[in-house]
Amino acid sequence: MEIAVVGTPEFTLGFQLAGVTHLYHPEGDEALADTMRNLLTQKDIGIVVLDSANLTLLSDRLRSRIADSITPTVLGIGTEEDNTLRESIKSALGVDLWK
Amino acid sequence: MALDIKPTRSELINLKRRIKQTQNGYNLLKLKRDGLFHEFRMLLSEMIEAREGLVQTYREAVQGISLAGAIEGGLAVKSAAIAISNHPEVEVKPRNIMGVVVPSVEGSNLTSTIMDRGMGLIGGSAYIDEAADGYSKLIERIVKAAEMEATLKRLLVEIEATKRRVNALEFKVIPEMKEAQSFIQLRLEEMEREETFRLKRFKNK
Repeated sequence: MEIAVVGTPEFTLGFQLAGVTHLYHPEGDEALADTMRNLLTQKDIGIVVLDSANLTLLSDRLRSRIADSITPTVLGIGTEEDNTLRESIKSALGVDLWK
Repeated sequence: MALDIKPTRSELINLKRRIKQTQNGYNLLKLKRDGLFHEFRMLLSEMIEAREGLVQTYREAVQGISLAGAIEGGLAVKSAAIAISNHPEVEVKPRNIMGVVVPSVEGSNLTSTIMDRGMGLIGGSAYIDEAADGYSKLIERIVKAAEMEATLKRLLVEIEATKRRVNALEFKVIPEMKEAQSFIQLRLEEMEREETFRLKRFKNK
């Protein structure tokens, strides 16, 4: 399985330098949502790395689909904190254990 | 609640047996829930640490690539990125934690040497190499974090489902069965009293 990276060309450049070949540069919120929907259905992708700033641009429904997805696992990284897992824990257990 | 049960002795025996079985199941499910929760808590603290490490590594990697871009130029970094021949891959295998199948992610080719980067020893740049190293390290951390995140998600789903089952047994199924049991017992006692009274009346005649 491969690693895919979604974000601006500046965000993906470093990953390309490390050898990642599945790079996606969607422009606009709609294109980003389409790319994510498409990646969630691909069987050869194991991990999707996403700029965490882009996570906030997605709809709540897609965000919850991303949070529930195991293969591929979507990881938001960046200077902004990715709170999808934290939110899932809060809604499932009723307490915020992320402390 | 309308009880649609036959007030017979055999029904009472059956019901008693079912209550015992349900209570055993309830105790087992409670143990499973607690075990899963324990596993979840242990993994969660590791995940929090991994997340913090990931953010730190990402910052260092970004710093490295910015430096490489500033010194060598954006075009040189881009051409180095295109030349790379080593591609990281991940393998997802199933692993079992208390009956929950979780993915175990293993990475291969995550780090690359200078020779894999396709630039040669003379044509390469130390800054670009450092940036590539930074991102290789970041990918290693991403693979580890992805495994933990997927495991936590699966455990979370299972904990939620087990919690619902435990609550349903504790607050709905077992109380209803006990109610049915007491209904049959009361009805049988009443029938017994009626029978005694009938016998007495018959004897007096």
